[in-house]
Parts: sequence; structure tokens; C-alpha cells
Amino acid sequence: MKPKEIDMVKLHAIIGEFKDVKWGLIPLLQAVQEEFGYVPPESIEPVSEAMNICPATVQGVVTFYAGFSLKPKGRYVLRVCRGTACHVKGGQSILSSVKKHLSLQEGETSEDFQFSLETVACLGACFVAPAMMVNRTYYGKLSPNKVNNVIEQYEKTEGDG
Amino acid sequence: MRNVTLTINGKTVRCPTGTSLLDACTAQGIKIPTLCHHPQLKPFGACRLCIVEDKKSGRIFASCVTPASQDMDIQTHSDRVLRHRRNIIRLMMAEHPESCLVCSKGNHCQLRMIAAQLGVGQTRLYPMHNYNGIEQANPFIVRDLTKCILCGKCIRADHELVAAGAIDYNHRGFEARPSTLFEQPLEKSECTFCGTCVSLCPTGALSMKNVRYVGTPQEEHESICGFCAAGCAIRLGVTDGQVTEVTPSPQNGTVNGVTLCVRGHFAHDYLKSEQRLTAPMIKKDGEWVEISWKEAIDTLSQNLLTAKKEHGSRTIGFMGSSKCSNEENYLFQKIARTALETNNIDNGGHLYGLPLAARLDQRLGGRFRSRPLSGLEQAQAIFVIGANPGNSVPVAGYHIKRAAQNGTPLILADPLPTDLRRFASLRLDVIPGRDLDMVNAISAMLVEKKAYDASYMAEHTQGFSFFRAGLGSLDFQRAAKITGLKPEKLEQAATILAGKKIAFVVGQGVLQQPKGMETLDAIINMALITGSLDNGSSGIYLLHRENNQVGALDMGCVPNGLPGRDSLSDENARKTWGCAWASKISPDPGLSLVQMIREADKGNLKALYIMGENPARSLPNPPLVKSALETVDFVVVQDVLMTETAQLAHMILPGAAFAEKQGAFTNMEGRIQPFHPVLPLPGSARPDWEILGMLAHKLGMEPRYSEIGDLQKEMARLILPYGETILNAKVSWVGDAVQNGDPMALTTPVCWDGEDPSAGYAFTAVTGSVRLHLGSGTRTSQSPRVRAWDGQVSIEMSQTDAASLGIENGDPVTVVSKTGRMQGAARLVHGIAEGLVRVPAGVEGHALAGLLDIPQTPGAIYCGQKSFPVNVEKSNET
Repeated sequence: MKPKEIDMVKLHAIIGEFKDVKWGLIPLLQAVQEEFGYVPPESIEPVSEAMNICPATVQGVVTFYAGFSLKPKGRYVLRVCRGTACHVKGGQSILSSVKKHLSLQEGETSEDFQFSLETVACLGACFVAPAMMVNRTYYGKLSPNKVNNVIEQYEKTEGDG
Repeated sequence: MRNVTLTINGKTVRCPTGTSLLDACTAQGIKIPTLCHHPQLKPFGACRLCIVEDKKSGRIFASCVTPASQDMDIQTHSDRVLRHRRNIIRLMMAEHPESCLVCSKGNHCQLRMIAAQLGVGQTRLYPMHNYNGIEQANPFIVRDLTKCILCGKCIRADHELVAAGAIDYNHRGFEARPSTLFEQPLEKSECTFCGTCVSLCPTGALSMKNVRYVGTPQEEHESICGFCAAGCAIRLGVTDGQVTEVTPSPQNGTVNGVTLCVRGHFAHDYLKSEQRLTAPMIKKDGEWVEISWKEAIDTLSQNLLTAKKEHGSRTIGFMGSSKCSNEENYLFQKIARTALETNNIDNGGHLYGLPLAARLDQRLGGRFRSRPLSGLEQAQAIFVIGANPGNSVPVAGYHIKRAAQNGTPLILADPLPTDLRRFASLRLDVIPGRDLDMVNAISAMLVEKKAYDASYMAEHTQGFSFFRAGLGSLDFQRAAKITGLKPEKLEQAATILAGKKIAFVVGQGVLQQPKGMETLDAIINMALITGSLDNGSSGIYLLHRENNQVGALDMGCVPNGLPGRDSLSDENARKTWGCAWASKISPDPGLSLVQMIREADKGNLKALYIMGENPARSLPNPPLVKSALETVDFVVVQDVLMTETAQLAHMILPGAAFAEKQGAFTNMEGRIQPFHPVLPLPGSARPDWEILGMLAHKLGMEPRYSEIGDLQKEMARLILPYGETILNAKVSWVGDAVQNGDPMALTTPVCWDGEDPSAGYAFTAVTGSVRLHLGSGTRTSQSPRVRAWDGQVSIEMSQTDAASLGIENGDPVTVVSKTGRMQGAARLVHGIAEGLVRVPAGVEGHALAGLLDIPQTPGAIYCGQKSFPVNVEKSNET
């Protein structure tokens, strides 16, 4: 399955919003990523033209920040914490059960673009270690079993787009 | 400005506030190693090698990005600093491949130099190379990013100096590398192959692609680039008599600084072309036979004298060269005017607007002859008219882009998209050849707004009331219709320019159009009313095409002028020069380049001496030029290459290229730049001035020019705007005319006369220079690197036009004009107006010339044909 073609009308609408914003590049890229789930490579040139920055520089900003991705991400991005507290509390086994459940390695996206797996240095949720996030939702005090339950909530069901 | 006092290595030092510690130390003669610092780039602080220690605070600073502040106690070479520097180098070396033995950077590698200075031999660290493939598919630059130390010089040069925007840092941390968009190879990026990054790269990550040679050149010599009119100062690296490296000269105050362009950097390999002429030859029964120099000079002088005796002086033509030196052009025209008593002298600059340069000089009364390009960066507004400096004079383009990046308003009047577009504050997509009405309309709006400099005009100009009256009758609606520009656009331009001192950059779009003279007049008028001329940072910059076009004009290598920009029609000047040369100078204006061909075609030219020109390639309608040359009884070609013209000659004299002889060129700024021989002469070739000296002697001229010094002494004495500076072998500037107190006159504005020869043609072709070739490409097409790059001939057109003709990108197309046809591949370009096609100059043997015709009208000045009506057809697949 291929990612959907990006909607250039939407892209230009977003660009229009940030065109005259001072230091607008990063907010603009964030908005693009929010809309499409990633920064589509074909958006770099229109963005650079609007911001009057050369395209190679825009690409440099995108690849510099871990928060931006030039590759399409899954609908749900799982971020498993690898911080010290989570590690002590068994974060390693959480990661391996996520990997096993999704059959994904770190940085990979499932073929149906449902899931992406990432690891993060610290989610800042040490008090509920071991922790992970699915998009913007935190899940704490995880166990391998609980991980499976969490993931199942996000799995594709019939009639899902 | 306030000063700060601090101690550096125990010595009390004062420096202005804001001075970096590095500069403060350098001013004290202290050498601090740096890798990412370059005086022409903004400080960056990437490599950290320039660290120094402040004893007071105990802190360590990167000196290039730390301003000196009061009471610091700086140590530049303390044990602690040295230890850190060594560690930095060790870390860099641990990441660096151990390929120094085969690295083309050789002894120019700054990383190796600093490692050696700091005594870092082995790093004793675990090697961690970041392997990247070597990229060398293009013929110019080898990119081996494994050797990259991330100093960012290439990126900053790309952004700050040449403003190409091809590369930037990509990724982060260990993975970080300079990269093009989508990590494409350079040839698929915005890269112009100017090579500035190559000369700045401190390691072997970027190097010049040499097929046969790796390492440091044996010798290095200063020289002047022999291609375009920018006249960049270069340093030629020579090994075994061959140029193996070209870098910008490290001297201060050069026109180019640390930049060059693809031609200057990479195309000088034409000097070793197999087409180089190495011996004098004469054609016997259709075969070239080598002859001695004595025999050659005897034959030449005998033929010239016979033609003069039997048919008269008017039947002899002299084509001098906008590529040859001042000395050579001076002697060439002197031979013509004195020994052969003819004014039939011209040079190739005629095709590229040289008559307009003479007009500019005449209207300004010989003022403002020197105008440094650096002034563009201080201008209040820049108005670029019909110029594509990115291709034609790239170094001028860099100046304009830098100015625009720093906020100078830039108005761009061009029917075709150029690389200046993204820097423009306002674009005027004027219909080709109609710039005249655009300039007049903007002037009229400026006058209407009272945005003129009344006090300047009162002091320096005359004729404003007539000028104003002339403009008063101008109909903006009509002007809008003629130029294809909406009145609002013209109004916007006037608003941007109002109250500013303007720098006008005038390119071939004006210099080469039939209304060029009138358009230039209109531009001069606008410059005069806005008082834009006096200021060193504004005024009119003509983008000349070839390296010594201005020099050829100054040396009188033109039909209607004399050396020192004296006019042939000026009786006093004729007397002065006749007296100096002990000869009588005919007042009859000679034939221009184009007229010579016309006369030859009619059988009226009996002998033709061509020095360093290739009319059979560069002039319009090559078949006609060739048949015209064949009717001349005796054609001698003195050149460095076996050109299309040389093949038609009766005799060939092998001259020397700029790097093989001594002389001086005058660039478009009016900067007179001497150069010296750095390469051996090929075969029995001789410097052109020496050949002319031999001929002059044979013709009985005095004195005998056996040394170039003899020639220079005479020139220094006689050519007033050059004067004694010719003798001191230093860079100098063309002087203004001695008597220049007269007010400059405004001319009555004229309008486009409504002549439109396009009936029956659907398209307008606009000729465009290409970055790799200079002019008609005689020399650049002999460069192996350029040949390796040259692909197809791109005929650029709009997508709409292509669609209506059923043409897709890359399809073979034929451009058909009244005179001829030209084949190429369609290239669909965004931003090109419907009805226009761009045809490239210089490529494929300058095929473009075949589309043009030599004008029938006998007018002395041929401004050229920048645009002309054509049809475009889809070619049949063969």
C-alpha cells in the first residue's frame, strides 16, 4: 500500500497561513507534519519558495529535528520511553513486546501505515515508568500484557479508513 | 567607535569594540590555526580550533566568534589551549580516511597542515569513518564527503557569496553532511559549478576533477581569467607546462574575491586542446604546409602591400580582438592606420554592444570610466535591464544577488526567467525589444512624482525642460500596450526607484537589440535626472561580453575611434595621433565587422587580417560569412585554435593565449589588469604582440617593437586615460577624459516606432547565453570538461505553447527563422511567457548564428538581434 497522494490545495493553504510569519519555518513545518503526518518531500520546494529560503536549507531543518520526518508515518505513532527510570522498571521488555506485537523494528512503519514505532530518550513521565505514548496519549505503569491491550485499541477494524 | 584594552600573550593591546579575538590576535601577528574561518565569510565557530584561553576567567573561547572585551587576559598558545587543539585535530583525524597519499588536495590540505603543526601524527583513537561514496559523475567537481570536516565553508560560500542555494547541512550529529536537495548529485541540483566551494574546502572533500593528475601543482602563478568581461584575478596551478588547477587569486580587492564561475574555474583546459595552432602554415593546393616565421611575415606583408597598391587601402580589412591584450590591439590598429592607411578596423565586441559603450562614454563626456562592481553592493536600488549575469558575467551576478540578499531593492526587466528572479523585488516581463518605452515611461513617472535630483541636474546636466516636455506627451496606456506591462507595474517600479540613487545593470537584452542605442540613451537620461551617476555605488554598468572588449575600444580597435577613446571624426585627435605616429590619418570612418563581410561578399575586400576572432562562427548567417571570406584574395588568421575561420584562411599564424604571454586586459569595470606568461608556448607559436612587432618592422614602421616594453612605453606616453600606469605592472583604472567640465545633455525621448517584422511567425526567439560557454563558444567548446558536460541543445519554451504544438519535454524541435533552422530538444520551463522561445548561444558550433542574418542596411552600427520572429515545429523522429 502506498501513502495517499498529498493534497496540494491543503498544503498551499497551510503555507499561506505562515507565509508572512517571522521565523515561521518551523511552525509551518509543524503544521504540515500535523496535517499529513509527515513532511512530504514535495512540500519542500513550495515551502522554501514561500519562506524565501533555499530548498536545501529547508531540508536541513527537517532532517535536523527528530520531530520531523520526510517519510510517511503510520496513523498511530508509538513512542516507547528509554529513559533511566523506565529502563529500571523494565522498559526493555516493554519495547520488545511492542516490537513483537507489531512486527516492527525501531523507526519502522507498518505496511498498512497503521503504526510507526519510535523510541524516545525520555518522555518525562518517570513517575509512571515504564511508559510509552501513542500519538499524544500517555500510557504508564505498563506491563507486556497491558501493552497488548493498548495496541489492540488502535488496531484496524472493519470499515476503518 | 570605542576601544577596548586587553592583554594578549602578556602584551597590552587596544582594538575597536566588536573586534573578534581572532582578528585582534591576527593584528598582533599571532597565528591561530583555523579551519572554518574565512575573512570573506561570516564567522561561524564550527571547527573550534581557534580556541584561546582567558586567564582571568579561566574560560576557553572560540576566538573567531568571541568579541574582544575589556581587561581580558588572553593566552593563545598556552599548554591547555594546545592540548585542546590537539584533541580537536585528533578527533577530526579519527573520522578522516587515511588517504592522504592519493588525495588531490595534496599540500593544500589545511587539516594536514595544522595536524603537522600541532604534531598530531597518529590519533591513538578508534577510527570512525563516515563513509560516503565518491561523487564524480560530473566533469568538474569530485565530491568525497568522507573527508568532510563539517566546517561549513562550502555551504556559507554557496549562500553568502554566490547565492546559489544548492547545498546545506543535512541530518544531525555523526550523520551530518552538506547535501543538495534530496541528496541528489550536484548536476541535478541548483549548483552552477562555480567551484567557489572547491577553492575554499580545507580538505580533499571537494576537489577539481582532473583526469590525468592528482596532487599539488608544481608551480602557481597569478593571472587574469581570459573569458568574460569580469576579468577575475586567478591563480593558475601549473604542472609540467599544463594548467592543473585554477583558484581565485588570494590578492585583496579583486573583482571576484574568492569566487569564480564554471568557465573560469574549469574551462581553461581548452589551452591544451588538440586544435591549438603550433606553427605558421600556408595553404597550398588545399593542404596546410608549415612555413617558417620569416616566410610567414614576408608573405603577409607582401600580400597586404600588394592589396593596398593594386586596389587601395579601403580594400584591406583588420579584425582585431576583444580577447587579445591592450598592447596587441593598439599595435594592430596602428599597423592598419599607418602602414596600410585604412580605418577598416573592428573587433568582435561589435557583436556584443561595444558601439553602445562608445556612445555611453560620449554622452557622459568621458566621465565615470571606472565603475567597480563592488559598488553594486552599496547601491540604493538596482535596476537590471535585459541581463542574465548568472550566465553571461557570473561574478557580476554574485554582486547583484548579495546586494539583494542584504535588502537592496532589485527591479528585474527581462522577458525570460533568469536566476535573479528569486531575488527581485519587482519583475517586469517586458516584451523583447521594447525596453525603450518601459524606461521612458518609468522616467516620466519619476518626473511626474518630482522624484528627480534638481540640484544635481542644475549643476551637471542640460536640456531638462526639453526632456520633460518630451516625456509629457508620453501616453502611459500606449506604453503599457507596447511593453506588455500593466501601468500599475510601471508605477510600482517608479515608486521603488523614486528618490534613490540607482545602479543600472544593462545586459545584452539592450546592447544587442535594434533599438539598443535609443534604449541606452533613455537609461542614461534616467540616470541623469535621478543623479545616479556621481555616486561611486550607482551609475550604469554595461555587462560586456568578452574579457578585453573595453580594452579593444580604448586601444582604438574600432572603425570610428582612435586610442584613448578619441573619436576619428575629431580633427584635433586625428592630428595629434597622426603627429605621434608620423603619419596622416584618414578621416573616413572605416568598415565595421559586419560591413567588412558585406563588402567582402560584394568582392570589394581584397585582404583581410583576422586576429583572435572567429567571424565564421560568431557572425550571423555563417554560410554567407564563409562565402564572403572565400571571395577575399588573401585572408590571414592569427589565433590560438584551428577555428572555423582559420580553416578558410590562406595563411595561419599561431598566436598565444593569455597564459602564455605578457600584456594587460581592461575589464568591464575599467580596471586595467596586467598579466604575465605562466605556460610555455605551444610549438613555435608566438605572443601576438611579437608577431605584430615583426610585421610592423617588415612594413618599415618605427620604432622596432622587439620588447613588449617598447610598445608599453609608447602607449604610456600617448594613451592619456591609461598613462604611466601601463608601465608599473600593477592593477590600475582607466582615467576620465581630461576636459570633462561640460554639462551632460539629456536627449529628447524617442519611442518604439511600431516596426514589427513578426508577420507570419508565431513565436519570438530570444537568444540566451549559457553558463558554460562564452559568446559563440570558440574557446569553451574546446575544453574537454565542457565537452564532457555538453548534452543536447535546449530550446526553452512555455508548457502552454508546447502543449498546443503537441510537444513534450525533451522532444526534438526545430526553430525556423527567415534565414535558417536550428535543431534542439524542447525544454519546458516554468515562468517563460507564451509565444517566446529561448535559443542558446555557443552550443553546437553556435548553431544559433544560422537563424540570424546580416542586415542589409549599410548602417555602421549593427546592434545585433537579441530577439527575432521564428516558428517552432516538432521535428520528425529519425
